[in-house]
Amino acid sequence: MLLKATDIKKSYGNKFNRTEVLKGIDINLNKGEFVSIMGASGSGKTTLLNVLSSIDNVTGGHIYIDGVDFTTLKDKKLADFRKNDLGFIFQDYNLLDTLTVKENIMLPLSIRSMSKREAEAQFDSVAGQLGISNLAAKYPGQISGGQAQRTSAARAFIHQPKIIFADEPTGALDSKSASDLLKKLQQLNETLNTSILMVTHDATAASFSHRVIFLKDGQIYTSLTRGEMSQDAYYREILDTQRVLGGVVDEAE
Amino acid sequence: MKLNNLVLKNFVRNLNNYGLYIFALIFSVALFFSLLTLTIDEAAMEEITTSTPMTALFSVGSVTVVIIIILFVMFANMIFIKRRHKELALFQLIGMNRRKIFGILLLENFIIYFGSLIGGILLGFFISRLLLMLLLQIMRVDMMVEMQFSPTAALITAAVFVFIFIVLMIQNYVFLKRSSLIKMLKLNKTSESTGKPIGKLTIVFGIAGILMIALGYYMSQTMFDRAMENPVMLPIYMVSILFLTILGTYITFKCSVAFVLNMVRKSKNGHVNVNDVLSVTSVMFKMRSNAFLLTAIAVITAISITAMSLSYITYYSTDKMLDSRTPYDYTVNSTEEIDFYEELLNEEGYEIDRMEKSFMHYNVATTEENTKVELDNLESIGLVIASDAEFDGFDVSENETHVTGTMAILDMFVSFKEGDPVTFTDDKGFERTVEVTKTMEEGILPAYLSFGMPVLVVDDAVYQQLAEHQPESNAEYEMPSELYAFNIAGGDNQEVFELMDDEENPEFTSRIQEYNETIQMSGMMAFIVGFLGFAFLLTSGCILYFKQIDECEDEKGSYKVLRKLGFSQGEILKGLALKMIISFGIPLIIGLLHSLFAVKSGWFIFGIEMWTPTLIVMGAYTVLYSIFALMSLGYYRKVVRNSI
Repeated sequence: MLLKATDIKKSYGNKFNRTEVLKGIDINLNKGEFVSIMGASGSGKTTLLNVLSSIDNVTGGHIYIDGVDFTTLKDKKLADFRKNDLGFIFQDYNLLDTLTVKENIMLPLSIRSMSKREAEAQFDSVAGQLGISNLAAKYPGQISGGQAQRTSAARAFIHQPKIIFADEPTGALDSKSASDLLKKLQQLNETLNTSILMVTHDATAASFSHRVIFLKDGQIYTSLTRGEMSQDAYYREILDTQRVLGGVVDEAE
Repeated sequence: MKLNNLVLKNFVRNLNNYGLYIFALIFSVALFFSLLTLTIDEAAMEEITTSTPMTALFSVGSVTVVIIIILFVMFANMIFIKRRHKELALFQLIGMNRRKIFGILLLENFIIYFGSLIGGILLGFFISRLLLMLLLQIMRVDMMVEMQFSPTAALITAAVFVFIFIVLMIQNYVFLKRSSLIKMLKLNKTSESTGKPIGKLTIVFGIAGILMIALGYYMSQTMFDRAMENPVMLPIYMVSILFLTILGTYITFKCSVAFVLNMVRKSKNGHVNVNDVLSVTSVMFKMRSNAFLLTAIAVITAISITAMSLSYITYYSTDKMLDSRTPYDYTVNSTEEIDFYEELLNEEGYEIDRMEKSFMHYNVATTEENTKVELDNLESIGLVIASDAEFDGFDVSENETHVTGTMAILDMFVSFKEGDPVTFTDDKGFERTVEVTKTMEEGILPAYLSFGMPVLVVDDAVYQQLAEHQPESNAEYEMPSELYAFNIAGGDNQEVFELMDDEENPEFTSRIQEYNETIQMSGMMAFIVGFLGFAFLLTSGCILYFKQIDECEDEKGSYKVLRKLGFSQGEILKGLALKMIISFGIPLIIGLLHSLFAVKSGWFIFGIEMWTPTLIVMGAYTVLYSIFALMSLGYYRKVVRNSI
């Protein structure tokens, strides 16, 4: 098991005015698994992702990656951890406007000792798979949203992390770019055997994953595994669960 | 591709945003360095301070510049590091630890500071000569200047900047230490304009703030009059005025501006146009969250304009002051002494106009109008009376008198207005009343003969009449009644002064000498105060500019939306121009008003002319200040143009 989280709790506010966002969540993620987290607004899905990805601290509980509990790590160890094991994709891309696409993608490689040739090879392979090789010299301001998100994905993959955390990666994209991106993620997930944990409110996006975990009010409501289902059937299953979960589908954001 | 490469590249491409910052830094270093060079350069200092030991003033000036620079740099640094949270968060996400990020900031700042340090010292070396020339020009000293590069000044400047650098690094360290990754990622999502509705309390405070400032202004205008009655109260008045205006300013920014703008907004009743969206609604909340900064800027603007105005008033008034206090080129003590100098000067080919005049001291009955001070309830005060037959250029009718040598500051003790009656009395029953028909600032007697008081010129007949009724002298010593003075035909100059200036010659007072001393003193004061004022203007302007850049980046989205809705660039820019006027104008106007009232309350201590020098200073300040507003608008224009 790659990631194992037990009894995750997260609350905000002070002693007298506490809001519990996560109320004790257990989650496991196997190597090479692609898992989506869904839930209505305010169900705590982004908070869960932040906590699992070490961006935010937990209030209670433990998170192990490869058997190491990182909730107790100090800054330096934690940084090493992110450097080697984790990759991130955000809804708003988080690219640096002052660096070219290539430079943005290479950023994670720049803080480790890697020969220039090796780095080039990595870049060529990832950029090739994501279909952005021809954009290498462009600046983020000059490319489309879909291309920017693929750049962001390339950056997340380039150092071959164990897990990639994606927070609504398709949130700002049109459906064509979104499905393009998800297909690429799916491909990379298969070829590199990298685990992906993705938060989304979009059933289509979720239908690309192996497993969907539904959150409700800070707790796991249920989960769905694709198994041998076709993607279409899986998609309908997800929609049904979402409907049961509460509210109309359209409201789920 | 190594990390440092990428970081450097990123930094170089960001340089655009740093442009003005670096410029301001270089300029402040240059100012500091040149001021220091002037202080250290012995030749220059000797020339400057022969008659006025004012090295201390220069040191105070340098220290103030350093404080201004430190505050400015710290503030700018905070804006920049917040601006870059996204980048810093990303660096952390890809696995850099805080030490490494700190290292990056260290490297960048190192380049910026030490680059500007070297640039500033070079620039400072060139402008120090320019500044010295300017200073000598202001002090009206004729001299060729040779400036040498001063390693000491360079070393001190470097030391100060290393110190500032360390302070900044501590600031950055604390920032990194305190902000968690999640906070940095979310920083761009929480804007400072979280609009709380304008509550009743805001309205109350809003009105209170304006009232406090008004009360402060009112008190400042009556401060000296009241203090004359009870001098102990003066510091209490001053402190309470400062307290009222500064706190009032803060509350004004915190509440009043929002309150007033909200009224404007309400009056539109929902029909907001693009100008309102971009200016009123945006500024309303931003002002509140920046109240402290804006107060600081307004207050320091006020202080520096006041100081500049007052020192310029002194400088500007020098000539008139001399006309009033030292009307003749040379004044001596007897006819023989005039003879002595006439002979001396004639030998050298100079002609002199001799003045031997007599006058007398006489009592003038005090009235409520002419005497402000309760001089131990004296019924009369002794003033100098002169006859229009003695002094050229006067022709006074029998029942009239001309008052000469009036100065604003004297009004606090004795003041004569045109139309006032003046009663001469010998305190034993004889009285003669005349009417003031003319008052003038020019004097006819040097201050040491008139005891600094105005001199009344009357018709010769009245003069004779008074002379007959001389009161018995009760003074412990003989009042002076003779003036021995002479003017140099064709104008005085330094050569004449040096001819006469010899220990063996009889004593004299010289107008040209007094002029030089005064003009050098006030010139140097004006120079240093102007220098500091300029440094402050530069830094506060930059800070407001950075704030605007910051806001502009935050509001990028709105411009995009507006342009998509079909508003043209011009329309959006018009709204933004209004925003600039409000954002830059309000602190400026408050600062100007504060200083206007401050100057008005005490200017007469510093000189004779108030409005001209004050308006010149305020005008110059406003013009220079507006440049920053225009630059901000230029930045906005660029962003708006590229927003779609």
